[in-house]
Amino acid sequence: MLKMKSLAAVSFVCVVITVVSTYFFSINKQPNTQLVEFTAPFVFGRFQIPKDNPLTVESVKLGRRLFYDPLLSKNNKVSCASCHKQSLAFTDGLAFSVGVSGKALPFNSMSLVNLMWGPKHFFWNGRSSSLENQALQPIEHVDEMGSNLDDLIEELSEIKAYQILFAQAYGELNGANIAKALANFQRSLVSSNSRYDQFLRGEISLSEQEELGRKLFMAHPDTKVSLRGGNCIDCHSQFLTSGFSSVFDGFSNNGLDDDINLAEGLYSLTKLEAHRGLFKAPTLRNIAVTSPYMHDGRFKTLEEVLAHYNGGIKRSKTLSPLIIEADNLADAKAEHISLNLAPHEVVAIISFLHTLTDESFLTNKAFSDPFKAGKLND
Amino acid sequence: MIKPFKIVGWVSVLLLISIAIVWHNAVPKQLTLRFYPFLGNKPLVLNNEKYPNPGGKGVFTIRDFQFFISNLELTNNRNHYSEQESYHLARFDVGKAYYEIIVSEISVSKFKQLVFNVGIDRKANGTIVIAGDLDPNSRMAWNWQVGYKFLLLEGSLFTQEKQQPLVYHIGFNESYTRLSFPLNSNTVSNEGIIELKVDILTLFNQAKPIDMNEIPNVKFDPEDVAKIANGFHHFISVM
Repeated sequence: MLKMKSLAAVSFVCVVITVVSTYFFSINKQPNTQLVEFTAPFVFGRFQIPKDNPLTVESVKLGRRLFYDPLLSKNNKVSCASCHKQSLAFTDGLAFSVGVSGKALPFNSMSLVNLMWGPKHFFWNGRSSSLENQALQPIEHVDEMGSNLDDLIEELSEIKAYQILFAQAYGELNGANIAKALANFQRSLVSSNSRYDQFLRGEISLSEQEELGRKLFMAHPDTKVSLRGGNCIDCHSQFLTSGFSSVFDGFSNNGLDDDINLAEGLYSLTKLEAHRGLFKAPTLRNIAVTSPYMHDGRFKTLEEVLAHYNGGIKRSKTLSPLIIEADNLADAKAEHISLNLAPHEVVAIISFLHTLTDESFLTNKAFSDPFKAGKLND
Repeated sequence: MIKPFKIVGWVSVLLLISIAIVWHNAVPKQLTLRFYPFLGNKPLVLNNEKYPNPGGKGVFTIRDFQFFISNLELTNNRNHYSEQESYHLARFDVGKAYYEIIVSEISVSKFKQLVFNVGIDRKANGTIVIAGDLDPNSRMAWNWQVGYKFLLLEGSLFTQEKQQPLVYHIGFNESYTRLSFPLNSNTVSNEGIIELKVDILTLFNQAKPIDMNEIPNVKFDPEDVAKIANGFHHFISVM
């Protein structure tokens, strides 16, 4: 009799433990995620994804919706996509972007592409050290999207779709997870099918003019060995065409202004005089559709950009010695700084820059506005 | 009743174990290479310090200085250790007075010689392999048809007449230079640290010191490259 009672008691305890543990694990269950499938050329090199923000399908899906949702702004009219339009390689065509305040912002909108490679410092002046860190800044900036993060979280919490998407992607709706989702959508924006990529893969040949432009792009000139160069590669890496990733190697003073007019640039982050006037060398992928150019959008066309390097450089204390020295002249005349390229060489470089346009990236449905696609829960 | 010789036996065993532990902990388990940049006797100060032109008039400043160390090996008669993916980009603009390479999980006392190379071996220089600090999208890559800069030195030369840029980008397979250093109690500290002096002036102070006015930039001209790279043989020494 006693044995029967003990058995019943043990069984009861087992059932309770099973029920409680099942409940505990069910409410703490991690989202059933899988990694985003994407391919990137070997030549892009290594990339790192933060351990606490794996690149999952769910997080990218959530990030895409947030990116296109004007609810993220104070007046519910401005989304990230307002200044980062896919058809313009995620720029906005303006010299200075305009947000909720209607005031022109201090900088030109940067293209969002291949962000897992290149400089690990974001914004033109490098003030942010990760995509997660970067993501909330425009949302909270008074002139950009002007939102209060607590109010935004409350607003998003009332929307069923966001309750589900956050639960699936991260388990919780909070500011850090908004940033993580936006960061991961931006990581998914990989462009690797331009004509240049196809050329690198051996699928196509470039025209004679494009090939001349490519060679000039890739060469620092050296008249001692009769090598002419456009010197682009001294700041824009050969495959990514972005600034370099190591430390602050991806930042440069490219001679836009003299000392009197020199903007702070990287100095605002590091407070080192040697960094005054240095700005992030942007990727040149899709450069033909991302005008106007430079951190302040001062050049409207690629012809104007090339004219700058071919005679419009202004001297300042931190101007790159590589720019001064790259004059394609046997007898150095450092007084007037210019690449001294012939007109047909300028045209060739611009022709090569057009091979960096990736139509499949600009029209990729995975990167498009999900509200317009009408299938938000896909 | 415990027999005295048993006690002595146990004490001896414990003593031996203790000695073994102390000895084991005293032998460094990693070798740390520290590279300190100098110009002659003066430590390198980027941007703000001016140094005399080694072979001519004027003074110069250095804005950037980086170089590759590769294929590190430790040897003695019996033991041999080769570091995997051994490509290190030494640079001195990240807030430290020295650049450091740590070779971990080795018993330093087993080795008598340290070997590494200035530059990148022919095989890696001729491909776009991504290993160690090699990165074909980095500032040290010229382009995939030319290979890597082994050493990058950029700055400005100031003379009474003018200021001009200095650009020394030294590469080419012929410049790849093997250096070796003895490993002993004179060169390696008890903590397993070997301190190495990197003297930039050795690149210019050769049989005939180089006048930076005459050669303000070196990139692809083989003769000029060889002139500078000749200095690699004495570029690094034990401090």
